[in-house]
Amino acid sequence: MMEWDSNSDASGDDEFVEYEEEEDEVEVGFGSNGFLFSGGGNGGSGPLPFPVDSLLQPAPCGFVVTDALEPDHPIIYVNSVFEMVTGYRAEEVLGRNCRFLQCRGPFAKRRHPLVDSSVVADIRRCLEEGVEFQGELLNFRKDGSPLMNRLRMTPIYGDDEAITHIIGIQFFTEVNLDLGPLPGSVRESARSCDKFRSSLSTFGPVSDGKYNINRGLCGIFQLSDEVISLKILARLTPRDIASVGSVCMRFYELTKNEDLWRRVCQNAWGSETTRLLEAVPGAKRLGWGRLARELTTLEAAAWRKLTVKGAVEPSRCNFSACAVGNRVVLFGGEGVNMQPMNDTFVLDLNSSSPEWQHVKVSSPPPGRWGHTLSCVNGSHLVLFGGCGTQGLLNDVFVLDLDAKHLTWREISSLAPPLPRSWHSSCTLDGTKLIVSGGCADSGVLLSDTFLLDLSMEKPIWREIPVTWTPPSRLGHTLSVYGGRKILMFGGLAKSGPLRFRSSDVFTMDLSEDEPCWRCVTGSGMPGAGNPGGIAPPPRLDHVAVSLPGGRILVFGGSVAGLHSASQLYILDPTEEKPTWRILNVPGRPPRFAWGHSTCVVGGTRAIVLGGQTGEEWMLGELHELSLASNIN
Amino acid sequence: MIVLNSSDGATFEVEESVAVQSQTIKHMIEDNCADTSIPLPNVNGVTLARVLEYIKKHAEAKDDEEGLKSFDAEFVKVDQASLFEIILAANYLDIKGLLDLTCQTVADQIKDLTVEEVRAIFNIMNDFTPEEEAKLRNDHAWAFE
Repeated sequence: MMEWDSNSDASGDDEFVEYEEEEDEVEVGFGSNGFLFSGGGNGGSGPLPFPVDSLLQPAPCGFVVTDALEPDHPIIYVNSVFEMVTGYRAEEVLGRNCRFLQCRGPFAKRRHPLVDSSVVADIRRCLEEGVEFQGELLNFRKDGSPLMNRLRMTPIYGDDEAITHIIGIQFFTEVNLDLGPLPGSVRESARSCDKFRSSLSTFGPVSDGKYNINRGLCGIFQLSDEVISLKILARLTPRDIASVGSVCMRFYELTKNEDLWRRVCQNAWGSETTRLLEAVPGAKRLGWGRLARELTTLEAAAWRKLTVKGAVEPSRCNFSACAVGNRVVLFGGEGVNMQPMNDTFVLDLNSSSPEWQHVKVSSPPPGRWGHTLSCVNGSHLVLFGGCGTQGLLNDVFVLDLDAKHLTWREISSLAPPLPRSWHSSCTLDGTKLIVSGGCADSGVLLSDTFLLDLSMEKPIWREIPVTWTPPSRLGHTLSVYGGRKILMFGGLAKSGPLRFRSSDVFTMDLSEDEPCWRCVTGSGMPGAGNPGGIAPPPRLDHVAVSLPGGRILVFGGSVAGLHSASQLYILDPTEEKPTWRILNVPGRPPRFAWGHSTCVVGGTRAIVLGGQTGEEWMLGELHELSLASNIN
Repeated sequence: MIVLNSSDGATFEVEESVAVQSQTIKHMIEDNCADTSIPLPNVNGVTLARVLEYIKKHAEAKDDEEGLKSFDAEFVKVDQASLFEIILAANYLDIKGLLDLTCQTVADQIKDLTVEEVRAIFNIMNDFTPEEEAKLRNDHAWAFE
């Protein structure tokens, strides 16, 4: 309320006007409970030493008198309104200087930083000059809740023209400020305060919430929009930005900016993913803010059946497909007579009526099935391994989809991995091909991991040395997340002399000096080897899609038992305790099948091609799992 | 040596090779505006001293990555008001490393906070009407899931 630490000179008027207070007993004389006015009870007979007319308020006021002749101006009287509003009883405050009201709660030792020290300085100045003070100051109740104190302080002069007392009238109003609970809140005074608080609002105006009590204490507002947006907000995750947008009007405006969202997305998902998303016309129309939300919540994910023109003929299964931007490329496969095929098809989903095109390439790679096709270096596709007419392969071919004349170019390098089929592959950094596991000659299952850096002039295969590998397997998936980490899931895994479908998850961080395979454990149980939650039933030949932000989506495949393969499972390996979750998505999923070839188109759509149910091949069916709204 | 004058009249001497970490000062020197001394009316003495502490350390220990990391970590352990003063100064003086460091510190403070917590920590007034706030809660509900 008031803080004064100096006596002022005597000079001032001594107007006395009557003041009536409902509940107070007005006594003569001094003493710890007394006033200096005469008169007793309500409507006292003697003049009261302060101008009351101007002090009469339509609402109850706090009223405090302090002794200006004693050191540090101790309180000698407070009225019951003061007691009720502040939560402090008279006996707790008599003899103290009023500055305790600037401290938050009864145990705080210093003035709360939100209290405007310039107002306090004003008060001191007025007292020193012996003049009246009027102003507003932040105070705190005993329970720590904030109050705005519209305060008027008047010095009272005694016979010898020295100031003998200071009278303070406080008009308290509520402040819309949430500071959280006071440590060790005093419960009882809080309760009585609550009761008074609600009645306080019926008496007088409540602070309209727009009153800026901060007055320069809000440091972050001193910064320019540019600094806040580009330097601070741009470093937050999509969820944080959405949250920050609800803090105040200024942040709301800043977080509507598309450029900010783009930076945030880039920081969260990596520049490669953002570049990919940028190239998709649909995503651009959606806006980065909306895209960030949908790819975080997956609220707009849906299955759709796609109808395209043309056909991949002759019929085949076990082919491989991969997308470059919005174009899907398909190579090879196993024909009706089990013959390995070597033709290339392209489906341009950018077009208004997409159609499979059979691409004429000179000197195609040898025909094969059970191979992998991955996207590198922007618009290039790299082909590895598989089973051809002469047996298993370990050759590497690259196709530049943006070249004028499409050609498969062989990459020869020393010490390639063992020839294999049904291995898994993925692309790291957009430039490095990673190959793992698969089936080698004589049906031996492999568990090695090889890396081929295709950004080099002369790429060289390099095995990643590890001390321990997960059980060897085929038909598993490798997904990239968090920049340079890979996640292996499922497959048909070796277990002694037998092979079982697996639902194990293993990860490796290739940014480490000595990368190693780790089990992903979600459960806190010792020895637990798998993520918690509802794990997908064990499978091989399934689909694993990397979502922006590091999550992996799994569905399809040859699933043990009678489980539906179209159920979607999602896992975030970056969580502290990674947990499988089921994702329920509207629309019609592909039929139960395995051997699908899937590719992610434009970062937001997973296209599922082909597959077989044991009875039929579904090459004609194309299904799309779109992760974000399609504005088409 | 370059002489810098803060807004409140304090004078600081610093080697030119160190001072040019500030692009603003660098340009002033290049444009020959630094004959006697460079006035910095936007930076007070206390803040300028801290900024100089930063650039001096980053000039002399340039290759000591570990040392600089721990220096930076300690450097930002200041009260909020001072931190924002340093951000303003780093922005005005165009010292990228210092601006990135201090802004990252603020971003780290905001991470994972609720809306009320952000307001409390940064002394920000809630200037939405109850209706606006309810609508925002709805629109941004996904952030809190």
